Amino acid sequence: MADRKRKRDPAGDGAKAEEEKGSRDGKEKKRTLLPSLIKNKVKRMAVHAKVKREKRIDKKKKKAKARADAHKRALELGEEPPPVSIPRTIENTREPDETVCKPDDEELFVGNDADEFSNILKQERIPKILITTCRFNSSRGPAFIQELLSVIPNAHYFKRGTYELKKIVEYANNKEFTSIIVVHTNRREPDALLLINLSDGPTAHFKLSKLVLRKDIKNHGNPTSHKPELVLNNFTTRLGHRVGRLIQSLFPQDPYFRGRRVVTFHNQRDFIFFRHHRYVFESKETKVDSNDAKAKSAKGKNLTQTKMIARLQECGPRFTLKLISLQHGTFDSKGGEFEWVHKPEMDTSRRRFFL
Amino acid sequence: MPRTTTVECPGCPPLRALTTDVLGLVKVVEVREKVGMPKVVETWGPPDASRSVVAASLADRKTNPLLAVARKNGLVEFLNPLNGNSLATVKVKDSVSSSNSTEDEPVAGLHLLGMKGTKPSSKLNKFLMCTTKGKACLRSVTVGDASPGSSLVDSPITWNVCGAGSVLCSSVDGNENFALFGGKGVEVNVWDLEKCSKTWTAKSPPSNSLGIFSPTWFTAATFLSKEDHRKIAAGTNNHQVRLYDISAQRRPVLSINFRESPVKVVTEDLDGYTVYIGTGCGDLASFDMRTGKLLGCFVGKCSGSIRSIARHPRLPIIASCGLDSYLRFWDTKTRQLLSAVFLKQHLTSVVLDTHFSAEEIESADQPSDLQANDHSEVENEEELPPKIRSKISRKKAHNKNKADKISREAQYDEMSNDNERTTIDSTDDDDDDVLPATTKRRKSLGGNEKPPKHKKSKKSIG
Repeated sequence: MADRKRKRDPAGDGAKAEEEKGSRDGKEKKRTLLPSLIKNKVKRMAVHAKVKREKRIDKKKKKAKARADAHKRALELGEEPPPVSIPRTIENTREPDETVCKPDDEELFVGNDADEFSNILKQERIPKILITTCRFNSSRGPAFIQELLSVIPNAHYFKRGTYELKKIVEYANNKEFTSIIVVHTNRREPDALLLINLSDGPTAHFKLSKLVLRKDIKNHGNPTSHKPELVLNNFTTRLGHRVGRLIQSLFPQDPYFRGRRVVTFHNQRDFIFFRHHRYVFESKETKVDSNDAKAKSAKGKNLTQTKMIARLQECGPRFTLKLISLQHGTFDSKGGEFEWVHKPEMDTSRRRFFL
Repeated sequence: MPRTTTVECPGCPPLRALTTDVLGLVKVVEVREKVGMPKVVETWGPPDASRSVVAASLADRKTNPLLAVARKNGLVEFLNPLNGNSLATVKVKDSVSSSNSTEDEPVAGLHLLGMKGTKPSSKLNKFLMCTTKGKACLRSVTVGDASPGSSLVDSPITWNVCGAGSVLCSSVDGNENFALFGGKGVEVNVWDLEKCSKTWTAKSPPSNSLGIFSPTWFTAATFLSKEDHRKIAAGTNNHQVRLYDISAQRRPVLSINFRESPVKVVTEDLDGYTVYIGTGCGDLASFDMRTGKLLGCFVGKCSGSIRSIARHPRLPIIASCGLDSYLRFWDTKTRQLLSAVFLKQHLTSVVLDTHFSAEEIESADQPSDLQANDHSEVENEEELPPKIRSKISRKKAHNKNKADKISREAQYDEMSNDNERTTIDSTDDDDDDVLPATTKRRKSLGGNEKPPKHKKSKKSIG
């Protein structure tokens, strides 16, 4: 009952307000010219756009006011405030997926222990990365690689030369590298990334887009050489889990926390966003709010409060990855077996995600 | 609400499939209803990566069925496919390798023989095994219920299939007289199993018009029909499907290119000319090997390499599984996805237990008359849809689906009836054998009188 009443009341108020506003608008409209009466097209469009914009802002305000009123009323009546409505997004209306990993799945953990990354993730082996490029590489490619080298500890750049990738895999295996990163550039712009987990791990092929280098980021910082912390967000399904572990195996598993350097891989709608930050904890002195100050004015006038805040500074490249295929075994374009390939027939719904 | 398109899977007739995966688990998937969704019923074995299954074979008999799995750690294990009990274990090493080699050789192919045998002996089971290095071995194992320990009756017959290269695929023909092997650097060769002698070897096709010779690399091969050992369908790593005819020539009679990823599995149909092929990037297609024409692709959301395909001997159904860890059932005629079940691990092989039908379970639970009533209800429903359809257009699709489902049900029912008739005939023979109680089918618990009675009641209605 109470709920219904509450709902109805603001609606009524809103309606009244609308009526008033409507009458006022009507008066205004009589005074001003209707946009449709303007003969000049450019002018008409401009006026129309203005009117439309005002209407939109009005509507937003009204909504916010109604919400605030409802909240206030609920507080006055001593009821619980109405629940904050959660906007419906594509992510939270995602198609149900049976492959999403569950925390109570025993098979998952045994599978994890047995997979190709486990010896790195258990710190039995220290990751050692070989970075190379496609055959022709210039301008943004080398710059990107330089930044990657600063992001990933224990990474070594090797010139591609004219070697085949299979030969490079063989070489890296002999030199006890744990993974290979190949940056593929097209028209002097990096556009694909190949991650190969070595000895016999999977090979992931990503599309790389929206690359912003360090010097193009405003107020960027310069990264330190500490081992970074790693944040992997939203890798939920089996495939996502596997890709997440593949990415995790590029970084050392013992971050130096006092270095305060974070590398983030954030998955959203199958796009993996890469960010690289430095952070700092600062104690910030803030003046106590005026209301409180009145209450405490007896004690002292210049009362300040210290608050710990974290500040972020972005450094290093910024890019977006999208998984194209995950291949079983090391790179083999001809005879490879795929664990997952993106096929056009999968794209029948916007709400289906694979990672 | 957001509009989401969900493709409704029509569902399968009663089925029982066993899958093996990289963690060494054997999972049993069953469909119990007349037309229903498959569910994982049982999981056998502890998950352990070293016990990863490399090859599996099922002796699909009415009585005393046997499942053999070759594991990564060099063991061949024999299981009872009804309850998962381990019956015997054999080491690959002491049967295949000669004295001095120490390391395990991975098994490339494993085939249980004695499917076709006139009288399936309960104790002795012959099997053919082949390692990747080309050592084939024919031996038998006694399967006892009491102890999992193995006792071998005869010394294994061992021979070398190839000198160099690695064997990747092998197959045994329907009469179990011949076996074929092929692999990387190994041309398809046929062996007589009785004499253990090579009877035929293929010859690689000539280099093409540009003078480019493609190296031999067979990834899958099978005999085209059960009766005839002379026709062989093979798939190569450079995405070709080939047909060899032993009686005609040594080079392939027919060679078809299919897309751009290696053929990983080739499975023959019952009709003797259709083959189903699965590729490394998840394409599943069927070919008519008489003409070399692509009959059609099985389109679904299949995204990982296909490792194994199994054809049901009576129902028009194939099961496929692979690295995307789904087991999928397809209709062979319409090439429609009937249902898919997620099994969590990379699957290595699937076998179908064909002597399973849902009625076995139902008949054990409830009297057969009740079931007959059910059937009549279904028939009544069949007449209903047109009326509703005229009323509401929105429900049309749904009803159509239902009607479709019902017709499908009826179709499968007919088939399973046929199936029953044949199986009933065979039970009389089987009862003479002395069997260990545990290996008896569940059906025998229900009694032998029931199924015929049930059938009669159905007839009286129809």
